[in-house]
Order: sequence, then C-alpha cells, then structure tokens
Amino acid sequence: MSKLVYLVPLFPLIGFLINGLGRKSISKSLTGIIGSGVILASFIVSLVLFFDVKAGHTGVVKLFDFITVGKLDIPFAFQVDQLSSIFLLIITGVGFLIHVYSTAYMHEESSDHYARYFAYLNLFVFSMLLLVLGANYLIMFIGWEGVGLCSYLLIGYWFKNNDYTNAAKKAFIMNRIGDFGFLLAAFWIIQQFGSLNFADVFSKASGMKMNDAVLVGITLLLFLGATGKSAQIPLYTWLPDAMAGPTPVSALIHAATMVTAGIYMIARSNILYTLAPTTQGVVAVIGLATAILAATIAIKQNDIKKVLAYSTVSQLGYMFLGLGVGAYTGAVFHVMTHAFFKALLFLGAGSVIHAMHHEQDIRKMGGLKKALPVTHITFLIGCIAIAGIPPLSGFFSKDEILAAAFSASKVYWVIGVLGAVMTAFYMFRLYATTFLGKFRGTHEQEHHLHESPKAMTIPLIVLAILAAISGFVGVPAVLGGSHELEHFLAPIFAGSVKLQHPHNINHNTEYMLMGASVALAAIAILYAVSRFSKKPELNDATSFGKVLENKWYIDELYDAIIVKPLRGISAFLNNIVEKLGIDGVVNGVGRIVNYGSRQLRLLQSGQVGAYILIMVVAALALFIIQLFVL
Amino acid sequence: MIALILSALWGVVMMFSGIFLKNKKAAAPVAITGIIALLIVSYLEYNAVLYLDADIRGMLKFSAFGQVFTGVVFFCTLIYFILNAAEFEETGNDTFEYYALIFFILSGIGLVTYFNTLLMLFLGIEIISIPLYILAGSDKKNLKSNEASLKYFLMGAFSSGIMLMGIAFLYGASGTFYIDGINVATAGFSPMIAIGLVLLLISMSFKVSAAPFHFWTPDVYDGSPTVVTSFMATIVKVASFVAFLRLFDNAFGKVHAQWQILVALITAATLFIGNITAVFQQSVKRMLSYSSIAQAGFMLLAVFSLNTFAKEGLILYAAAYSLATIGSFAVVIKMKDYSLEGFNGLGKTQPFLALMNTIFLLSLTGIPLTAGFFAKYYMLIGAVKNGHQTWLVIFAVLMAAISAYYYFRVIQAMYFKEGNAEAKPVSAVFKYTLLFTAMLVIVLGMFPSLLTKALY
Repeated sequence: MSKLVYLVPLFPLIGFLINGLGRKSISKSLTGIIGSGVILASFIVSLVLFFDVKAGHTGVVKLFDFITVGKLDIPFAFQVDQLSSIFLLIITGVGFLIHVYSTAYMHEESSDHYARYFAYLNLFVFSMLLLVLGANYLIMFIGWEGVGLCSYLLIGYWFKNNDYTNAAKKAFIMNRIGDFGFLLAAFWIIQQFGSLNFADVFSKASGMKMNDAVLVGITLLLFLGATGKSAQIPLYTWLPDAMAGPTPVSALIHAATMVTAGIYMIARSNILYTLAPTTQGVVAVIGLATAILAATIAIKQNDIKKVLAYSTVSQLGYMFLGLGVGAYTGAVFHVMTHAFFKALLFLGAGSVIHAMHHEQDIRKMGGLKKALPVTHITFLIGCIAIAGIPPLSGFFSKDEILAAAFSASKVYWVIGVLGAVMTAFYMFRLYATTFLGKFRGTHEQEHHLHESPKAMTIPLIVLAILAAISGFVGVPAVLGGSHELEHFLAPIFAGSVKLQHPHNINHNTEYMLMGASVALAAIAILYAVSRFSKKPELNDATSFGKVLENKWYIDELYDAIIVKPLRGISAFLNNIVEKLGIDGVVNGVGRIVNYGSRQLRLLQSGQVGAYILIMVVAALALFIIQLFVL
Repeated sequence: MIALILSALWGVVMMFSGIFLKNKKAAAPVAITGIIALLIVSYLEYNAVLYLDADIRGMLKFSAFGQVFTGVVFFCTLIYFILNAAEFEETGNDTFEYYALIFFILSGIGLVTYFNTLLMLFLGIEIISIPLYILAGSDKKNLKSNEASLKYFLMGAFSSGIMLMGIAFLYGASGTFYIDGINVATAGFSPMIAIGLVLLLISMSFKVSAAPFHFWTPDVYDGSPTVVTSFMATIVKVASFVAFLRLFDNAFGKVHAQWQILVALITAATLFIGNITAVFQQSVKRMLSYSSIAQAGFMLLAVFSLNTFAKEGLILYAAAYSLATIGSFAVVIKMKDYSLEGFNGLGKTQPFLALMNTIFLLSLTGIPLTAGFFAKYYMLIGAVKNGHQTWLVIFAVLMAAISAYYYFRVIQAMYFKEGNAEAKPVSAVFKYTLLFTAMLVIVLGMFPSLLTKALY
C-alpha cells in the first residue's frame, strides 16, 4: 500500500498543471472542482496510508535515483511513517476544506485569475507534501523552497497592489534568510555523515556524544531555517504581513502548511536536537520569547486578520517551546489542534470580511452575532479552543507543552501561562469587538450583511467540530486518558525518549498547574468579554499601547539597522564600484581593443612593396634573435 | 599513395571532360564522383586493404597521421564541393578547369602531408600555390580578383625564394635533402643550420599567414571570388599547417628549445594582429579573412608545443576549423550584401541559414558543445603540458575572448538587429548538407575522440 504514496503529491501537481496551463480556457466551476478534487483525492490516499501505517506498515519508498555523485547518493524517496502520515492528513484534510471554501470566497475573480489562484494553491499543497514526505533533507529542502515560492506567489496574488507585492517580497526574503541556514546545515550534514538520508544521518548521529559541537552547529543552522519558515524571532515579521494574500491563503499558510514546516523538520530531526541540549535551550527560549512578544502585540491590533496572524506567531512559539523542552509529541499535537482552530478562525474571519465587503477593521464591526449565526458560533468555538478551555482541543495540547515546560524550568511555565492568559484575552477582545455590542459600520454595509454561502459555512462547521473534539486523541493519563497520539508517534521519538530524563510530575502538581492556567484564562476571557462588548477600543492607542499597536517598532528597527545600511552599501557598490570601477574597466578594454583595431588596420596598406618591407624587417629581427640573442 | 596518384589523375580527367562535356552543370557531378572515389580509396588504404608498393626512394613516408589528415581534407572538400556547386558555375566559364585545379591542389596536399625530403615539400608547396594564383584571379572581369591574383603571385614567389634559400643552406650544412638526415645534422646546430631553419620558418609562416608575414592574406582573401577564398582559408591552410608541423617536428624536433621562442613570438603576433584587426572589420568576408589569421595563431600552438596533444589537436582543429569556416562561407556566399549590415535580421528572413551560421560561428569562437571548443582545448592543453612560455597560453585565452566579439557581432546582427537581410535561394541539397555539417560540428564537439582515436 505504501507504494502508492507517490499519488499523494502527484494529484495536486496534476491539478496545478491543469489549472495553470488551462487557465485561459477552463471555466470557473471546473477549475474549482479540479482544484479541490485533487486535494480530496490526496486526502483519501492519505487516509488509506494512515490506517496502513497504523497497522504497522512503515518504511522508505524509493522512486528513483536523484543525485549520485561519487560516494554521495541521494535518492528521490518518500518516508512513510507515523509522523509523516499525521502531517499528510492535516495538510490534505485542512487543505481540502480551504480549497472548498475558496471556491466561494474567490468567486468575484475573473476566470483566468481564479484558475491562477487554484493553480498556486495546488502547487502550495504539493510543495508541502513533498516537504513532509521526503526521506532525506534534500527532498525536504525542495518542498521547503517550494512552499517559500508559493507563499510569495499567493501573498502577492493581487499583484497590482504595491503593498501586497512588498509583503510578498518580505516573506520571500525572510524565508530565504532561513533557507540559507538550512542549506548550510545540509552541506554540513553531508560533510559529517556522508549522506542526507534521514535513516543514515540519525543512526550515525545517535552514536555521537551529547552536545557535540558539530551537532550543535548543525541543529542551530537547521533551527535558523525553522525560524524563517515558522515565523520565530528574529524572522517572524513576514507572517503578519502575509495576510496581504486572500484570506483562505492565510488560513493555508497559518494552519495547514508552511509555518508548520519548521516544527515538522525539528520533530523529524528530534534525535539530533535531543543530542544537542544547548540548541534545545536556544529553541525553548526563542519559542517562549516569540510566544510572549507576539501575544503582547496581538492585544492592540485592530485588523481582524492581524490579530490572528500574531496569535499564530505566538502559538508557534509554544510549539517551539515544546520542542525545546523535549515534548516532541506535545508540539506535534499542538500543530494538529492549532491547524484546526486556526484554519477555523481564519476562515471565520474570511466569512466576516466577506459579509462586510472587505472591511477588516474590527472597530467598524460589532454585533455581527445576529447576521452571521454560523460564523459566530464556529468562531466562538475556535476562540475557546485557542484560549485553552477544556474540553476543547487547545487545552490538551497546550497543557501538555506547559507541563513539559514546568518540569524543565518553572520560569518557562510562568511565562508560558502568562502568554496563554494574554491569548485568551486578545482572542476574546477580538470576539467581543466583532460579534457583540452594536454594529458600527455604515448603513450600506448593514443592509448587505449576510451569512456566507454553504461552500464557506460547511468547512467552518467541519473545522469547528474538529477543533472541539480533536483534543481527545491526546488525553493525558492524569485525566484518565491513554494519550493515543503519544503511543502512535512513539516509534518516531523512541530514540529521543531513551536519552531524556523521564520527567514525572506528580498528579497533584499537574492538577494544580492545569487548574491555575484554566482559571487564569477564564478570568481573562470574562474580563475581555465584559469590557469590550460594551465599550470597544475605538480610538488609537496611546502611550504603551501605541508601542504595542506598532508591534514594538520591530519592523522599523530592522529597517534602520539592516535594510538602510544594506541599501547604502548597495548604492555605493552600484554607483561607485560598478559604474566607475567595473564598467570603466570593461568598457575601457573594449575601447582599447577598438582603437587598436582601427590603428592596426592601417598596416594593411594594399602596397605590396610595403608588405615586403615589413616582412624583411621581421625576418631580420628573427635572424638577430636566433643568431645573437639565443 | 594510390589516393595521391588518383587525385592528380582526376585533375587531368576533369580537364578533358571539360572538352567533351560542354554543359557547365556536368562539372560538379564529375568532381564529386572524383572526391568520393578519393575518399573510398584513402579509407581502403588506411585500413591497408589497398596497397601500392612502388620504389620512391623513401621520398614520401606514409603514416596513420597523414592518412587521417588526407581523409579529413577529402571529406571537407566533398562538403565544399556540394555546398558551392552553384557558385562555381557562376564564377566564370571555365568551371571544369576550376575543379581540375582543385584536384591538382589536393595532390599537392598529399605531397606536403607525406613528404620525407625537402624537395618533395617544396614541390608540394608549389603544386598547391600555382593553381591558387590562378584560382584567385578566376573572376577575370573583376579588377579586385586580378589584383589579388597578382599580389598573391608576387609575394608567393618571394616566399618560395626564401624557402629555396633555406633548403640550400640546410643542404649545405647536412649534405642531404632527407629530413631524417637533417635531423641528425642539427645536433651541432651550426649557424648554417640556424639560418636555414629561420628561412624555412619564415616561408612556412608566410604560407600559413602567420604575422608579420600575413599581409597578403586579407587582400587576397578579400579580392578572390568568395568560393575560392573559402577553399584557401580552410583546406589549403590546414594542409600548410600539417607540413609546418611535420617539418619542424621531424627535421628540427631535436633542437626544439633553440627555436621555440621564435614560434612563440610569431604565434603571439599572429593572435594579436588577427584578433585585434578583425574587431574593426565591417565586411563579414573580410572579417573571416582576419579570423583565419587569428585561428592560424591557435594552430601555431601545435608547432610551438610539438607533443601528442598538439598532433591530435591539429587534426581536430583542421576538421573543426575547416567545417565551420566552409559552412560559414557557404552562408556568406548566399548573401546579397557581405557587409555586417547585410546580415541584419537574417534570423527572421532566413531562420535556417541564420541558425546554421550561428552554430559555425559558435564553433569558431570555441564555445563548448561545438568542435571548436575541443580543438582550442587540445591546443591550449598541449601548450600547458609543454611547460615553457606559459604567458603564451594566457595570451591565447585572452585573444580567444576577443574573438567572441567579432563572431558574436554577426550573430547579434542576425538576431537582434532590425533589417531585411536578403539571401539567394538555396537548394534542398545545400540545406541538408549544411545541416549535416552543423551536426558534425556538434558531434565532434561532444565526442572529439571519434576523430582522434583514428590516429592510433
């Protein structure tokens, strides 16, 4: 069965080719059916694969030899195991819902742009599948670059808007900085292990001693790649800008694809990280710092998508915290639950924007509860899930990470809970400002308020159900569950678990920790709802709030310390070195040759006498050299 | 041996068939039959199927190198005949005689390839030169053609005198015309040997149009009918090179160090003058004349380094350079206007001719995947392995870079300039032959060993 794994990425690739090449001739409805259908087909194959894996059939499926140079052999091979099969389900499942949603959301586009959109979307899913399925770092890197490219194409989908294309460029450049780290790591791995295949690298690495400098270096470089793709400090600034793309694209980037790539990569390389505790410390601290920084920024944002964007950055921070403290299962678990509720929230936001005729400022909304009943209920479920209120999914996954953080360091836990409380606060600030209170938009907008079509609400409902119940696959033992996900993923993380010190917190402590975080989140929710449903923040923030609203001025900081000096250097290189130096030399050589040609040509006078004279002189010179010089 | 005799005989056959067959159009088939016969005979001789054992007093020496080279020459001549059949008919009324002269030249080429005495070398050189003086002036009504013929004759006579004088000095020093004997005599390296050597060096440099003895080349190449220029610049020139290489390898190889610097100076001068002067030329025909001087500079590297790479490389260079130049000239001949402007927009009006010409020009530049690349590579690697005068290699590479300028100007004109380049109509045979030639250029650029391994 696992032989059919190539079908999973093949379907979206076919969809991309059909929609991309036939964009001028295929009708809109057919485009939508092809675009969504190929993802559904992938999902079905993934589902079959998942049960196959669950029955114990894992392995590497080699398609063909890709690069064979000297001793280096890199096959084009796919890794079929527990970790990749879970990600396949998330990518194709959530991806499919987003495709269906898009068919309605993008209906205003002209038919060739509509097809272009679906082509990119399919390519995006294809790249992500390649990333997850690759059985070596090279195939992973192909997918890694692919999602970077597709995010660029989709963020800049409305390419006539300059700001949007700038956002696309920003995403691309930030990603490229991270990719640079990934590439260096890959070269280092080749140099150190002589192979890029996961199986070879991991088995050779597990023989190395703890905190070996090479391993620390490699893992840090890989982590640099992850910070680019998964929007962590210092490369996170592209993600909030990335909402310039159509809203379903944001959902795809933030939930099912792209940002989870970094998590996946580290989870895949878990043995390397476990062997490099120094790197793990860095990962945990960066993750935690990102979680808290993004949460503070989210509190003061007024754009519905920006709040969600910063919440993604913040939640990704939690996942890295989990990876950093060795809770690999927890991180993957949180990827999964986050995929459901974040896709739900983004699609819900899209539904709101759709109803409000492309209004994204929550200060101009309010009271949408009545007009958008389905969107309202599903959005509320998403908010509760992300806030970590039991028994919805976010509670279980976040709690697992926080519990692991607690056993690693109590400070991690305190800051983590603080972030969780802020999450609850800003999510319900968003919810209350948008759905509760009175409508603050124009009459025109109020008149046209409408619930979205079925193609949009059904994905919302499906995602809401998943966001509500998906936590039950990972109910911890302390709550009487058996944590099925952990058992399922056990083979992947077995090597790491053996090396880790078992951290058993006793049950009473664990109850206390849960109780504290839930209680604090609940208080934050109640406060936010009661405050913002009556009196939303309509004016621009002042004093410290202004700093938060302006995202700590990080973009401006980057601009001042990196972009401006770089521009200065490149202006210098362009105007002085290139124009005067290099061009001068190049054109000078050309001019000298031309001049020489014009002069030398005059020797060719046409007079036989002159020719013979020159020949005689030359002959004499040769005689002198031969007879007297040599 | 049989091929050598046959080539001379076929020249006579051509002349007589001119008397019996009045129709100009009959000339080309007879000539092509002859050249195919020559090819078959030389192939059989190469494989030692045909064999003629005549007592020639060791004046000629047959070797695999020479046989492969004459094979290349006959093959290039075949392509040359097919591509230029129509032009021969247009040049004048004596079509049969033109072909006859070319067959005589081929027998001369046989002599300079196989010579074992200086007499045979001189005889071969003269047999090549005298028909060329006539061919250069074959466009009798054209003043420029007459001028070219006269100039070529005057200066050719001058160089023949120098060569004879050199032979006389060597005979005086060694008492023999046989090159093996001269090789023995060079051991002492008396001034007489040195003088003879330099005189021969000058006259051979003249024949291969090496600077500063090249002055006849642009005037003669430009003035002669283009169809003749095409032959002179390719087959005749590479044959002279083989003579040059064999003479200096077999007769003066032992004292290589004594004269190497002279060849290096001549090579550098040739590369410099050929490449630099070509840059300014406005006529593609004249540019190709200078390019032939520049290419001669590269081939001189073989005489400079005298090792295995040089010998293999010279064969490869002969084939690569001849095929590309014959092809490029065949396109030039079809143009209404030989100036660079005349090629403007050929890529649109005649895409096939433009594409073929591009391949030939790329090969002349030495771009990888064309035969010209490996030809230049062998020459350079030979000079590097030789170990002396490394500056010459660097200089040669720089000059090759300059050559890209004037070759690419033609490509630029054909594809990137607006214009309405006009070309004469071409036959299907011409097209297929040109395509075949271009493919050969590419095949040799990928598998140069196809040719070089025939030497062993």
